[in-house]
Amino acid sequence: MSPNLKYDYRKFPAEPSDAFPRRFSASRPVIPISIIRGELRVRYLAIIDSGADLCIFHAEIGELVGLAVESGKLLRFNGISGQQLAAYFHDIKIEVGGYEFDCCAGFSRDISNLPYGLLGQLGFFNLFNVLFDYNKGKIELKSKNNA
Amino acid sequence: MVENIDLREVLKGYSNKWVALSTDSSRVVGVADNPKEALEQARMSKEQSPILTKAPQNYGTFIL
Repeated sequence: MSPNLKYDYRKFPAEPSDAFPRRFSASRPVIPISIIRGELRVRYLAIIDSGADLCIFHAEIGELVGLAVESGKLLRFNGISGQQLAAYFHDIKIEVGGYEFDCCAGFSRDISNLPYGLLGQLGFFNLFNVLFDYNKGKIELKSKNNA
Repeated sequence: MVENIDLREVLKGYSNKWVALSTDSSRVVGVADNPKEALEQARMSKEQSPILTKAPQNYGTFIL
């Protein structure tokens, strides 16, 4: 299967600031995905984040598909301000637009201030060519799998 | 595919909660302190394919 998927940016609330006093919203490349483990499946929002090395999701989402989160392999990683965060990695499946693929994804209790999971380089960008068109609010995903 | 998905009004007032959105993201079908309860509420409202998200304490600017 070689899907060509199209999504719209999602507009989230934003707080105006001294730097951007008229900014009341933020458009972000956030898409619905499913986290799948065996027969269990949860739909969840995730941002396509080219700055993230890996895919990281909320620990609570892992628990919904039956993971004992802390039994996974530990990775300590750095947030943007240098703070150390922890994620536990598990083999799961992700579904995007009807296309399912395997992913070794991290589940973390340290991202609770984020509204969505992170789709990063390994686990997402290695599988899809991603075209962002911010001005049109469009995202296009093309699978690299030509099978 | 839903066009121009605007979550500003939909997510208003759910600070620090887990929110289950309807399949088209146009309304909230469950809200709770944890995603399991939010999902249960969504399923009780017969929503076939709810989408979970976490409403943060405040929607500031994210640099990821």
